[in-house]
Amino acid sequence: MSSRRPPRGEYIETDTGNKVARKATLVGTQNIILGGKTVIQPDVMIRGDLVRTIQPASQSATGAAPNNTAVSIGRYCFLSRGCCLRPPGRLYKGAFTYMPLRIGDHVFVGPASVVQAASIGSHVHIGAKVAIGEFAIVKDYVRILDGTVVPPHMVIPSFSIVAGQPARLIGEVPEGGHEAFELRDLYRTVGNNPQPTPV
Amino acid sequence: MAALTPYTYIQCPCSDSPTLGRPSDASSPTSPEPDEDDRTFDPRAPRSNYSLYPLEYLLYCEDCHQIRCPRCVAEEIVTYYCPNCLFEVPSSNLKSEGNRCTRSCFQCPICIGPLAVTSVETKPDPSLLAAPDNTATPHSGPYALTCSYCNWTSTEVGIKFDKPNGIHAQLAKLRNGGATRMTAKERKERRKDPAFRAAAAAAIGSREQEDLDLETQFANLKMFYQNQLAHPNSADTGLSGLGDLGFSSPTSLSRIMSLYTGGGLQDKKAKSRVGAMREALDPDEGFQLASLDESAAIAQLQAETLDDTASAAQLLDQPPNIGEEHLYGRGRFASELRPIPYLLRTKRSKRCPMCRHIISKPEAKVQTTRFRIRLIAGSYIPSIAIRPLAISSGSSASGPAVPGALLEPLKPAHYLLTFKNPIFEPVKVTLGAPSKTPGRFASKVTVLCPDFEIDANTDVWDEALRETGERDREKERRRRRGEDGNHNNNNNHNQLEVGKIWERGRNWVSIVVEVVPASLALVAGQGPLREDEDVLEIPMFVRVEWEGDAGGDEVGSAPGGDKEVREKRELAYWCVLGLGRIRQ
Amino acid sequence: MSKRHSILPPAPSGPRPPTHLSPTLTISDSAVLTGTHSITLHGETVIHPRARLDSLAGRLTVGRRCVVHERATIGAVGASGRIVEAAVTVGDYVVVEVGAVIEAGETVVGEGTVVGVGARVGAGAVVGKHCTLTPHSEIAAGEVVPDFTVVYSNGLRRTDKRGVAELKNKGLARQIDVLRRMIPSNPAKFA
Repeated sequence: MSSRRPPRGEYIETDTGNKVARKATLVGTQNIILGGKTVIQPDVMIRGDLVRTIQPASQSATGAAPNNTAVSIGRYCFLSRGCCLRPPGRLYKGAFTYMPLRIGDHVFVGPASVVQAASIGSHVHIGAKVAIGEFAIVKDYVRILDGTVVPPHMVIPSFSIVAGQPARLIGEVPEGGHEAFELRDLYRTVGNNPQPTPV
Repeated sequence: MAALTPYTYIQCPCSDSPTLGRPSDASSPTSPEPDEDDRTFDPRAPRSNYSLYPLEYLLYCEDCHQIRCPRCVAEEIVTYYCPNCLFEVPSSNLKSEGNRCTRSCFQCPICIGPLAVTSVETKPDPSLLAAPDNTATPHSGPYALTCSYCNWTSTEVGIKFDKPNGIHAQLAKLRNGGATRMTAKERKERRKDPAFRAAAAAAIGSREQEDLDLETQFANLKMFYQNQLAHPNSADTGLSGLGDLGFSSPTSLSRIMSLYTGGGLQDKKAKSRVGAMREALDPDEGFQLASLDESAAIAQLQAETLDDTASAAQLLDQPPNIGEEHLYGRGRFASELRPIPYLLRTKRSKRCPMCRHIISKPEAKVQTTRFRIRLIAGSYIPSIAIRPLAISSGSSASGPAVPGALLEPLKPAHYLLTFKNPIFEPVKVTLGAPSKTPGRFASKVTVLCPDFEIDANTDVWDEALRETGERDREKERRRRRGEDGNHNNNNNHNQLEVGKIWERGRNWVSIVVEVVPASLALVAGQGPLREDEDVLEIPMFVRVEWEGDAGGDEVGSAPGGDKEVREKRELAYWCVLGLGRIRQ
Repeated sequence: MSKRHSILPPAPSGPRPPTHLSPTLTISDSAVLTGTHSITLHGETVIHPRARLDSLAGRLTVGRRCVVHERATIGAVGASGRIVEAAVTVGDYVVVEVGAVIEAGETVVGEGTVVGVGARVGAGAVVGKHCTLTPHSEIAAGEVVPDFTVVYSNGLRRTDKRGVAELKNKGLARQIDVLRRMIPSNPAKFA
């Protein structure tokens, strides 16, 4: 975070191009990784403090430094106003632990949605007021319509369009619909120096 | 009334020409059908429902130079996979399992949420927090399938499993309530057992017939008739002609069997055989007395509540033939429902229906999202974006400034249509729209500039520069003028003028359409307003012309076949612009 | 990122309510306790950051070993807006998930119930023991939900027959063990 920049404007713009609203709530920032060019709008909440407490067996055996990433987000993601990202938690070998939440590139999270998935792929559009249950796995090029409730542990394969409570497959993303997931243009339209939407 | 975002649907040519839009005459490639010019496409005609698609759904055949829609392409399955475990399923085991996953992937019969294997009666995991990682945890059985959404568990229908894996195979042997069910193989082996034969012989004649489930009954019937075909009863040779028409004749029987069992049973020799055959007589031959006594079900209905009965949707989701007898379409109680093995999904390639060239082909691997071939219409034909335009230049002109606002009847409104050219050649666009929209409520439509050119899409460098030189880009934009109409009222360039382009950019052009929405006041004698009749939809005929490299390979190319020759191309199609709803 | 461990813009809050906090309570610094009537939080309960407890419409009681997640609101003033003796009573082992709302007005949530993400319990509703309200479910004001009810798919109801209430409570206890170590508690701020 470039602290030398005068602290003005609605957003903090980092060297890697992240635009983080001053009114966003990020708990445990040291455990949140942003890939760059990601927009975090006001009133977004990210729970980086819910870190994994049990390390996988392979890592503890090799003595590697524990990986404390709770939430990792790729490039060109867009977290709309009021959404909440939090790592999923479960009992593992009789003890409770949180597990990391991984999000790919070009992921749009709609307003007031709550994401507790294990992983979200790339090019995923999550609508408004969506609840994604714990340990759900959402693959690439998936569209989750407004108000959907994705049950815990559900797997949503690539090119699915899902909706409903609980989520069910209602269609497939057509071949020509891949480009609509790109968020580069949307990225430019927010921040302290927003650009108009390109034609 | 819900707000409506403007949309553009494009009509696939497959819907109205028997040639699927293929040029029938070599001398005039892609000329529209002669009657097309006389007739205005009606977007509200019932048939139109099936031919209108958003641009993303359309593909494009490079050989036929024509748009292809999901309805006219020929699909071929590349890969079958389970949407839950994402494992590829070889096509050899598809049919026997009814296109379902045979691993441990199940859906909840109550809410269709995913089911997870959890251990019951033993310690740790409350199902909500448990993941099915059975190798790591020292669980001991029994196990059950549990829904993480509605908390249904297979113990509710009396099903528990000994092992946490291979659930599909275990479930095939279990009936609801926990009773075991024999597989066909076991049944066959049992028949060989002399002790069982003696018991069965004793049971014959009594009402206590063996209960068969659908699969076993069908297998038994099939075996019985196959035997019949192999050893026909030669006693009756008289009325061969009549016998051939009945169900018990060998020829019709083998025909029916090949229908239901997918061929392979057509016995060549059967033709020569004649005579009727006997019917199945006992359970081993697939004979099953229909159970017409429903008193038990009636008693249960009286004893239980509505919650204990299965809904029609739940019964429809039930897979056929997975063990429980006669459940399919006839179940009544939630206690009869069974976990639903996930239906497989496919990756499909698509072929042009005319030239059979592949126009879309995904990579076969389940986990990759790449395509080997993906010829989408969006990279060949201009996209059309619609935006309401608020101007106050003319005193009478006004439009909804807010997108999604209702259109005022009889008050002119303006919309900006932005055409974006995806190809590397400049294109000439000619628009044709009826002056009045079809339907009961005719709105007036004026396309201010129906004839214009769009520059080529030379975006290779531009895309790269956009990343770094955003400031330059901004300057360029400003040079081109701002992005919104109402900033530019003083600008002479942007006055509403017939025949003038509103705005143009690198590979796009904006033009203005003026509409005068009809009044939705109903005249006496007319029916009530039908669904979506208040939506203002404009049918528009788009003709795109450009000069491309003449390819010598396709049918109907210019004679001479010289690669250097530039060939004139033309593509014409109907589209529908949905602008908004009219205030009632 | 800098050394800052959190970006927590100040949360809007109203009057400070009188509180009765158990010494074993875990309450985040950025939770919001507001209102004029008393708020009682029992032992080993966890209040996540940005959870909001509002006693403007009456007394709030949260039982033992409950987890109130971020942005959950207990005691939201409902449509009626009237002030009652006991605005909300939450039993033991209750989980109120992210963004769930429990309206005030003699509302009761029974032991072991899970109020899912974004669910809403109307004013005066009485939710029984060990119920599950799936995400975005709504319980109308004044409604009575029997024990072991699962509310799912836009309001459908069924009975939970898993018989895992005890297991669930044990699992929750383990989760609380972890959360107590993870969430820096600052009950002094609210005392």
